Amino acid sequence: MLEEIIKNYLINTKGKDAALFDDPDLQVSALGLDSLDMVEMLFEIEDRCGFQLPDPTRYPKMGFAEMLADIEAAIRAHNNGEMPDLSLEAEQ
Amino acid sequence: MAQVLITGMGAISPLGADLPTSFARALEGHCAIGTAPANISKWLPDILLAPAASEPAALLDNKHAGLDRASQFALVAAGEALQQANFPAQPENSRRVGVFVGIGFGGAHTLDGLYDRFQAAVNSNGKRNPAMVHPLSVPRMMANAAAAAISMSHGFKGPSNTYSIACASSATAIGEAFRAIRDGYLDAAVVVGCEAMLTPGSILAWNALRVMAKPHATDPARSCRPFSQDRSGFVLGEGAAAMVLESAAHAGRRQQAGLGEVCGYGCSSDAAHLTAPSSAEQVYAMQQALADAGLQASDIQYLNAHGTATPSGDVVETESIRTVFGARENSTLAISSTKSMHGHLIGASGILEFALAVMAMNSGSLPPTATLETPDPQCDLDFIPLHARHGCTVNAIMSNSFAFGGSNVSLVARRYPS
Repeated sequence: MLEEIIKNYLINTKGKDAALFDDPDLQVSALGLDSLDMVEMLFEIEDRCGFQLPDPTRYPKMGFAEMLADIEAAIRAHNNGEMPDLSLEAEQ
Repeated sequence: MAQVLITGMGAISPLGADLPTSFARALEGHCAIGTAPANISKWLPDILLAPAASEPAALLDNKHAGLDRASQFALVAAGEALQQANFPAQPENSRRVGVFVGIGFGGAHTLDGLYDRFQAAVNSNGKRNPAMVHPLSVPRMMANAAAAAISMSHGFKGPSNTYSIACASSATAIGEAFRAIRDGYLDAAVVVGCEAMLTPGSILAWNALRVMAKPHATDPARSCRPFSQDRSGFVLGEGAAAMVLESAAHAGRRQQAGLGEVCGYGCSSDAAHLTAPSSAEQVYAMQQALADAGLQASDIQYLNAHGTATPSGDVVETESIRTVFGARENSTLAISSTKSMHGHLIGASGILEFALAVMAMNSGSLPPTATLETPDPQCDLDFIPLHARHGCTVNAIMSNSFAFGGSNVSLVARRYPS
């Protein structure tokens, strides 16, 4: 779900080529996101999980999969190890 | 000093999604005023609004979907004006091309949305965190958001200035751009006025000021009644209008025809009352504009009045116009308030009305004060009641914008070539 939310945002709102995400070694830097793009992208998640993710400047140095794992770890750390239902939260 | 030409104009207004449509509907006397949507009328059942004829986002690339509605209006109007002017994006002399924007209340939709969202989160039984706010809320609602969007979209690297002088915002933007080009600081400028605040929060605030029109007994669309004995106030509208101004030399190098020449700008402050107008400084603004243009009052054939339909505002403006142009029997000046049809676009009013006046000058067709059925005896000038006047010879026009805060602006344009 986390991956789908971010990918959909980047494809539908930021106009990124969906084929980019077929590459398992995709680097975040290859997405061409500036600092405002990055905080907008993270807001898609923050709005659903209800807290602000720390230090977005770390992500451009990561692979896309690594970033997803890092965000998931932050969400779990905020929720006693659980992963909330992001889609359900988004509809409420 | 350079001659300053208008080479392109555009608008998205309650009357139409472009300027030619807006002007055509104004000549028809069409009043684009109606009842408010449910999220406003449930609190204020009698409030009237003049929404834009088209959704701006539908006319823009999807990359602009996140902008505040006022910035979207600005981009639409600027695009039409630039297209008419055949003005290139990323011009070679980009540092000599400025952006001048007038807006009364920047970011009203963004701010109202932010409070809505906050309220919903507070009432969500802990399911949403009220502190989670979109990270671009500030750049969306900053007053200069529209100027930034136009500058970035078209690659204009001269000054991108925003003027916020309530109802005189975009008239001031025209005047300041005119001076910058005339005095040689710039070759060209895109001037835009935009406003989008038909939101519950904004309308509640305007209603509290007791300046809004009451619904007309038989036809709510005809509720804004400038210079009429039964006038009761104005109706808020939304939208934008734009002009490309450039020096005659710059337009000549591009072989671009002028639609008119901006030739006079006058501005003054009442320094008296926050909302009540005073005649002396309105007169001074008009006299300055005439002197700046090197024209006499008798050289102006049409004036688009500020004409908001407030009880005192129309009487004071009539007195001011009479002082400058003479009594009706001594003057051939025709005057109208097009706010009777498109409502009051606050920061966008000045440029929309100036653009309509320029179209009137070039076409010889003068838009009416469409709802002027029973003139107020105190408003005893030729206010073109009810129906447009066609076949007129118009060599020069004036447009007035008088703002809360006591700021007065008058603009003059003449035919080009004269």
